[in-house]
Amino acid sequence: MKHLSAIVGIDVGGTFTDLYFSRDGLNVDRVLKVPSTPDDPSRGLIDALDAAEIESSELGLILHGTTIATNAVIERKGARCALITTRGFRDVLELGRRDRQRVYGLTGAHNPLIARSQRWEVDERLDHEGNVLQPLDICEVRALATMLAGLDLEAIVVSLLHSYANPAHEQQVAAILREVQPDWEIVISSDVVREYYEFERTSTAVVQGYLQPLIARYADNLSAKLEQRGFGGQTLVMQSNGGLIPLSQLPQRAANIVRSGPAAGVMAAATLAKEAGFDKVITGDMGGTSFDVAVVVDGHPRVAETTELDFRVPLRLPMIDVHTIGAGGGSIAWLDRGGMLQVGPRSAGAAPGPVCFGLGGTAPTVTDANAVLSRINAEQPIGLRNITRLDIAAARTALGALGAQIGLGVEETAVAILTIVNQHMAGRTRLLSVEQGHDPREFALVAFGGAGPLHGAAIMREVGIKTMLLPPYPGVLCALGCAIADLKYDVSRTVEQQVTDLVPGLVADILRSQRLAVETSLTESAIAVDQTIISHTAEMSYADQIHALRVPVELEWPPSRMAEAFQQVYYQEYGNTLGDIPVTIVSLKTSLRGLRPHGQRPVARDVSATPAMPTASRSVYFDGWCDTHIYNRAQLVPGNTLTGPAIIEQVDTTAVIEPGMAARVDIYGNILIEMAA
Amino acid sequence: MMDPVTLAVVRGALEQITDEMDMHLIKAAISPIISETNDCAHGLYNAENGETIVQGRIGLPLFLASMQWTVKHVIAAAQAEGGFHDGDLWILNDPYLSGTHLNDIVLVRPIFVDGALFALFANTGHWMDMGGSSPGGWAPAATEIHQEGIIIPPLKLYDRGRYNPSLIQLITANSRLPKQIEGDLAAMVNVFAIGQRGLDALIAKYGLVTMRACISEMLDRSEAEMRSYISEIPDGSYRMEDWFDNDGVDDRPLKVALSIVVEGSELHFDFTGTAPPARGPMNISDGTTISMCLVALKHVFPDFPVNGGTFRPIRFTIPVPSLLAAAYPVPVGGTTDVTQRVVDVVFGALAQAIPDLVPAAPFGTTGVATVAGYHPKTGNFYVAVYPYPGGYGASSVSDGLVNGTPPSSMAKFMSVEMSEHRYPLRFDYLAIRDFSGGNGAHRGGCGTAYAITALSDCVVSILGDRVDYTPFGVQGGGAAAGNEVRLVVDGKEQVPPFRSKADRIAMKAGDKMKLASPGGGGFGAPQLRDLADVEDDLNNGLISEETARLVYQAVVIETQKRGDRVYYRLDRAVMLPEPQIAVPFLAQGARQT
Repeated sequence: MKHLSAIVGIDVGGTFTDLYFSRDGLNVDRVLKVPSTPDDPSRGLIDALDAAEIESSELGLILHGTTIATNAVIERKGARCALITTRGFRDVLELGRRDRQRVYGLTGAHNPLIARSQRWEVDERLDHEGNVLQPLDICEVRALATMLAGLDLEAIVVSLLHSYANPAHEQQVAAILREVQPDWEIVISSDVVREYYEFERTSTAVVQGYLQPLIARYADNLSAKLEQRGFGGQTLVMQSNGGLIPLSQLPQRAANIVRSGPAAGVMAAATLAKEAGFDKVITGDMGGTSFDVAVVVDGHPRVAETTELDFRVPLRLPMIDVHTIGAGGGSIAWLDRGGMLQVGPRSAGAAPGPVCFGLGGTAPTVTDANAVLSRINAEQPIGLRNITRLDIAAARTALGALGAQIGLGVEETAVAILTIVNQHMAGRTRLLSVEQGHDPREFALVAFGGAGPLHGAAIMREVGIKTMLLPPYPGVLCALGCAIADLKYDVSRTVEQQVTDLVPGLVADILRSQRLAVETSLTESAIAVDQTIISHTAEMSYADQIHALRVPVELEWPPSRMAEAFQQVYYQEYGNTLGDIPVTIVSLKTSLRGLRPHGQRPVARDVSATPAMPTASRSVYFDGWCDTHIYNRAQLVPGNTLTGPAIIEQVDTTAVIEPGMAARVDIYGNILIEMAA
Repeated sequence: MMDPVTLAVVRGALEQITDEMDMHLIKAAISPIISETNDCAHGLYNAENGETIVQGRIGLPLFLASMQWTVKHVIAAAQAEGGFHDGDLWILNDPYLSGTHLNDIVLVRPIFVDGALFALFANTGHWMDMGGSSPGGWAPAATEIHQEGIIIPPLKLYDRGRYNPSLIQLITANSRLPKQIEGDLAAMVNVFAIGQRGLDALIAKYGLVTMRACISEMLDRSEAEMRSYISEIPDGSYRMEDWFDNDGVDDRPLKVALSIVVEGSELHFDFTGTAPPARGPMNISDGTTISMCLVALKHVFPDFPVNGGTFRPIRFTIPVPSLLAAAYPVPVGGTTDVTQRVVDVVFGALAQAIPDLVPAAPFGTTGVATVAGYHPKTGNFYVAVYPYPGGYGASSVSDGLVNGTPPSSMAKFMSVEMSEHRYPLRFDYLAIRDFSGGNGAHRGGCGTAYAITALSDCVVSILGDRVDYTPFGVQGGGAAAGNEVRLVVDGKEQVPPFRSKADRIAMKAGDKMKLASPGGGGFGAPQLRDLADVEDDLNNGLISEETARLVYQAVVIETQKRGDRVYYRLDRAVMLPEPQIAVPFLAQGARQT
């Protein structure tokens, strides 16, 4: 086994920065949560290193995820950009594809990342095959560039119609821009995503341009701070596709790190579940404001081709498909106009927070319900500074006032709140798996996030899931995800041709050039990998279908072989095929995974079942108050068994084992929970 | 009183069942209209009076209340045949009973528990072709329903579990796409099994008595919730009139008149004074009119639940026959446009009562442009459909959105690059339509402008409205620009005879259609608009310099030329007048003839 130096995984979230530290790269030495520093996110990361008392000299690798990109877009705090488009199409960015924010309610406008006054047009036009219908007017571009140079701009985005089919015009525009003003960040759409759908491609390129200067500054800041701290190792950053890239490549891929934290969590959950023997997994990450669900089959999280970052700000980049539901510890309970109890989607957030935090919150939340029922330990609040204990009396008062209006006592109200929020999460989880064509009862649930293990048992019961897995550090799983991820590069290109019409060799040529592109990216990363895995997929459909299927293909396959593979995948998905209807290759995708050296943790293969020893007991409310064993996660070892009702406490979260459920610790230190036989 | 936790849980579980039914059909349907635009609905209904118990939240808003009215008609039909039996399955598409148009097929399945009728499941889905003179059921010059396709009255597809294949053979024999509609029928029937499974589990857990009590109380509470919203609307009678330009057959305007009468917690929608049925396809059934009133209301109060309890405090008077209560044999293919005007008049009336909650009129026309022909490369017949996007009205909280989808739908517009891959048609531009939003303290969203050039022979049909009567502003806001349709044939630009309606115009390579959809109306007096916003609008090219000066009362204090554009700095021309209080005034778009 290779020698592995110390690694640290850090997930910089909106509220908390989580850290996971391993001295030998295998065993966990420290996990912690510190408040994030949104004004300068690189400082929060350094704070976390300081708080963990990690010496830079012993550290070989820092792996991290960050919300900096997401926040900059949502808060519209990105770069000053201009957009150049084909004449007649500068408004595509603002128009979108005819929609609205919500099904019901017509109010609210949309604020495009680049205002119309900074969107410019040039004469040129390609057709859908990339043929030039109207040549690029070079003089016009030069005049435009010269004029733009007089404005205070940081980035110029170029998105021309059908540039995925022929990027020459975009490249010519970029060359002129570079010549006129070398300081600009220049983004051309065909470099960011070489696929059709002009709005989605333009939006993706604009997000890239909008973020690039900011992310470049962040990368510089972070490098300088780490250098100052004496860190001489490598820094890798998590992308939303679940793979890592080095800090040096971050600015060019700024759009790729949006929502990287949730992606890291899913990767970690998928990896741990697979190691524990579960190949079909639903991951549930519950924090203060939201519940993020993803579906993983055979270790591969489902990938979304397009993700809405904000209203009318789609990103057409492969991202792990994480579905967000507005239910978290901070979700507020309230009575609707018909007098029915509702929970969320409004959240008390971090400020004022739940009533029991004593920070000024007055509206009862899910966390207050858990506190009142004594499911969380009032004496050991997690992730909070300046609070040594939870204010249970205040939480009881708030819940009592709510319950009195519907004839419920304090505990009954708390149970009702949990019942409703759990039903909501379970229902949306079921719906998501139905949407993806799965029966959720065949899946295992990995519950994580600060609040996930508190609610996982109920979700599992509601959905009809047989097994729940609680990883060793559920509260900082995203940080762990950063630490165990691999490098990943994706490229793609739209083809949109019927298989029978393809020029011989075209598909292989595209795949070969895509392979070269991802291999070059890997080489440029200068990160050592143990193994490189290249995979090709074709998005294929029957002619004129809108929904395409992803079909794994090989470079040397002739198109007819690809069509056969498509028919097989189609049959698996829908149970029939559509006979003679021609098959279309919509696009070709190439993905490279560079596997970093991962050691195998030494595990005892055979451990005997021994009852775990509770460290304490306290009265916890389930169907009534009942004396409940409290276990300390740090003291649980493989083979330990316990039965519900039980509470398992650890530094980063609290887990609830409901009455009628049984738990055991597996050889990897995961807790597996099942309905008792 | 029901235990509040059980009540909440049963309601959540019922909602889950119908949501999952929606999702299953969207996954399984062959019809791209179902799978891509969610043109379907699923619900559970009271077996005696048809009241909606719960309806899925993923299907189209259009069906919000029309399902309940359809189910009532099926109950009557079943009673005439001795009532429902276990294993029955009813089918219909008769638009005078089931609302909307012939393409929307409705199935109704009685649910028996322990031998007794418990409730009815029903669903609807859009089938691609039901015959008639035009593929897809869209015939802009139709003057009777038979030109639009085959009518299915309420009939039993399954009788006590026995399938009637002859009925389906008769239907498929009348469709251009028999295989597709067979697949969609199978998918819609299968979804009932999913619903039944969920309902069985729920009944097994809680028992019939509790379930019935929960359902009854759920509806009562929803009624209370709706009444609390209505009570916030000041008592009074609020009248609004608006017009259709014409029906595509006779060039005469058609009036839609509405009085909303609010008394305490009750609401009365009275359409007395609305025009008689149109000769052309600009008609909808009363069930659709009712549904669209509730859709409009839900756009104003987005949080009320959708069930029969919600509908109880609301009464409707719709003159029969009229263009809002179509009766045999009038054509109904213009449903997509007629429904928009119902939303408009509801907004216009309510804006007088609750000005802070109601936006100005949205673009108000679905303006479907259809291009059909043979693709020169493949020789295959194609039909390309481009439904209008347009501006939304401004409101007390914001300017109006650009490029909105109709209030009755969530369907998107095709990507230009995708369209050019599929069809021998080229987009010349796709742009925000300059100067087209209604002026106001909050400005209405601009319309969308696009032009498409034919690359080979094809036939173009367009069904839109809102050329002569433009989307209105509220509270002193101005009207938006109206619809504009231009066809360029043989190098000659022309306005079609009905201005925004054109029936099967032949085009050749190089001919084009130029469309400009309406914006949304403005909200509040323009001179109250924030000066920085006026300056942004001017520099973004959304208003003209003249408008900035004359309507927004700004003066230009500095200009700067950048390329071919001029950038302005503005100041206010005069001291602002005191904000006027209560201007319950509708700036009706003047008829531009």
